[in-house]
Amino acid sequence: MNKTTVSALGAVLFTAVPAAAQTVTVALNADIRSTNPGVNRDDNTDAVVLHMVEGLVGYRENGTVAPLLAESVQLSSDGKTYTFRLRKGVKFHNGAELSSADVVWSWNRYMDPKTDWRCRSDFDGHSGLKVEKVEAPDAGTVTMTLDHPSALFLDSLARTDCGMTAIIHKSSVKEDGTWDKPIGTGPFKYAEWRRGEYVILTRFDDYQSPSGDKPDGLVGAKRAVVPEVKFLVVPDASTVKAALVSGAVDVAQVLDSDVPELSKAKNVAVGLYPSATKHTFLFQTRDPLLGNVKLRQAIAASLDIPQLVAAVSNGNGKPNNSAVAITSAYYDEAQRQGYVYDPAKAQKLLKDAGYKGEPIKIIANKRVHVPSFNAAVIAQAMMQAVGINAEIEVLEWATQLDRYNKGNYQMMSFSYSARLDPALSYEQFAGPKDKQPRKVWDEAQAQALIEKASTISDEAERQKIFDELHKLQLETTPLIIFANGQEAWAHTKRVEGADPWEGKPRVWGARIVAN
Amino acid sequence: MLRFALRRILMAVPTLLIMAVSVFVLIRLIPGDPASLMLGDLADPASLADLQKRLGLDQSLPVQFFIWFGNVLRGDLGNSITSSQPVLPLVLDRFWISARIVLIAVFIASIIAVPAGVIAAWRQNSTLDLALVGSATVLLSIPTFWLGLLLLLFFGLRLEWLPVVGYVSFRENPTAALLYIIMPVMTLFLHEMGVLIRMARASTLEVLRLDYITHARAKGLSESAVLWRHAFKNAFGPTWTLIGLVLGNLLGGIAVVETVFTIPGLGRLLVDSIFARDYPVIQGCLLFVAFVYVVVNLIVDLLYPVFDPRVTAE
Repeated sequence: MNKTTVSALGAVLFTAVPAAAQTVTVALNADIRSTNPGVNRDDNTDAVVLHMVEGLVGYRENGTVAPLLAESVQLSSDGKTYTFRLRKGVKFHNGAELSSADVVWSWNRYMDPKTDWRCRSDFDGHSGLKVEKVEAPDAGTVTMTLDHPSALFLDSLARTDCGMTAIIHKSSVKEDGTWDKPIGTGPFKYAEWRRGEYVILTRFDDYQSPSGDKPDGLVGAKRAVVPEVKFLVVPDASTVKAALVSGAVDVAQVLDSDVPELSKAKNVAVGLYPSATKHTFLFQTRDPLLGNVKLRQAIAASLDIPQLVAAVSNGNGKPNNSAVAITSAYYDEAQRQGYVYDPAKAQKLLKDAGYKGEPIKIIANKRVHVPSFNAAVIAQAMMQAVGINAEIEVLEWATQLDRYNKGNYQMMSFSYSARLDPALSYEQFAGPKDKQPRKVWDEAQAQALIEKASTISDEAERQKIFDELHKLQLETTPLIIFANGQEAWAHTKRVEGADPWEGKPRVWGARIVAN
Repeated sequence: MLRFALRRILMAVPTLLIMAVSVFVLIRLIPGDPASLMLGDLADPASLADLQKRLGLDQSLPVQFFIWFGNVLRGDLGNSITSSQPVLPLVLDRFWISARIVLIAVFIASIIAVPAGVIAAWRQNSTLDLALVGSATVLLSIPTFWLGLLLLLFFGLRLEWLPVVGYVSFRENPTAALLYIIMPVMTLFLHEMGVLIRMARASTLEVLRLDYITHARAKGLSESAVLWRHAFKNAFGPTWTLIGLVLGNLLGGIAVVETVFTIPGLGRLLVDSIFARDYPVIQGCLLFVAFVYVVVNLIVDLLYPVFDPRVTAE
């Protein structure tokens, strides 16, 4: 067989595969769980669903909240009633126009226990806040009344894991009330979901973008340009790399270690995107050893955090010891303060703590896109260098999560999902261990401060509280936050404008520039 | 023959029963539960308890087992916790995707490896024998995920002949479907060919040393007749058993190959379900795999007399 014959055979074979010139293909590392916003979800599910649905408010890039389906949001003088005026001319994918009745219907559905909405307990009084009534005084206005003022109400509505409390059309559910498919107001419409393989969305031609000249988190300009988006399940990182280089996939999250190689590929561009994910070492403060604050401080002083972060992120990450993300509007000079690498101080603290070489076990996992294991290995070496007998136990993720939820560990290399408001971020790990064993920081003063930050809305006041919390956290060291997420994403050069945000692909604004 | 088949089928019943109990107990011995995974790092005790109750995980293990087992006896394997899909159709759908790849791969591997093994034995210690045994050892030693990636890089990236990711079903587009399964099939058959060549060679070597082969040669029969008419028939038995075992093993899941080539098969379903602690799907998959293993081995046993008349089904 000569070269021409081989090439011809190759050409014939290749053309049997349908061409997808107008489709942007995005790789997902696992299939989505459902298409139901905030119900049976994970990160991949949220990423896909939020292309189809929108809430009254959404997150900006800096973690603050802005109107989305609402044109404006007004708060009453007693801080308890929110008035949302809806944008005019917004349509659902079935052509129906958005009205306040849809908002009330969606809200009632979310609050119905049968819906299994993940965030119901955040609004029904179980977690403190209760929405007492939701009313529609006219077709373009909705009011929501709370039992007490809350600085987190809008943030909670905007949360991506809550499916942005999306407003959907009632034809999204079947006659018997069970879920059918999302009829939302987002820039893309549901087309097909082949489980285990892919989800296809098509452009919604009647989409009405909120104001703005460029995408800003999940708000700002949202323009559906490409006719079709295919979210393709590609579980293996090596296959993702090959698929990007071959052009079979246009957009994908890639491993930090693959960045140098992919940067050299002529048809691929690589970018680094920050996220509010927190990479941490947790301490069990009820452990006989680690209950001693001096020992925890010794561990903090033994870690050269900039070096650790550089090593686990292939030189791409930035150290951050604060629960306030680097990208947050609340990240100020006080938040930049952190632990200082000082082996001599670490040794002195160990002596003061009466440490006698007892083993300290670090639990870690080997999930692909988190630095848990690598961070544990480096921390182990640094701790051993000052005389701490550190050991590592590697667990599969579900097992580690079980140990985390039960508080059954000494030290754990653990990554928290993103919480954009600092009060929510602190709340992730601070709280009473007696009621919730997963909580890491059980300190009355900290809880009082978080409670205060959850109630008041004044930004300057909140900033002061967060600065105070950070100082207290550094002193008591219930955990060591060492970095926020810094994720590597690659895209083929035929596609532009598909920048991800908070670890999620964002295809509105993406366009095909070459084929 | 019929009595033999019935006896074997009845023998499979206790196997499946033991399997059902073991799978149910073992998967629950692993820490972690689906509710906790679904809620992630925000699992407050009240929400966790709510979700566990909704999923039926708040009941005692014996109660959970008897509910599940009672449903299994009625042919209902339950619904997936993560996707809410009924387990049996889900497992069957995924099984046919894997089965197609496995059957083609094992068939090709068999028709190439068995003659190759016989010829290697016939020409023992020759260059041809060394080449075949060497190739078989190399193929056997290469992990399938790496072999798969090499094929992907060569045929997908370098030559651009075959699609790198995705899957198309035969019903949708037979030509495209064929293209998508070439590399997974190639990965499997290359790997299994190594196993089969070595077995076919070893069993043929044993037979070639027997007196009746010397007798056949002394009668003046051609080498071809000695090899294929007299030696092969007796040498094929062990290889046939191995083909059955390989088939049963692969039909139980080719998770690694499916992961590399993004094939939505049974192996990937099982692995994903284990990570998600999707108990009904894990139980359904493993029970089904055990059933397939029993059926494949039964078929292999029933076909044994066809290849070796000394073996009777009685």
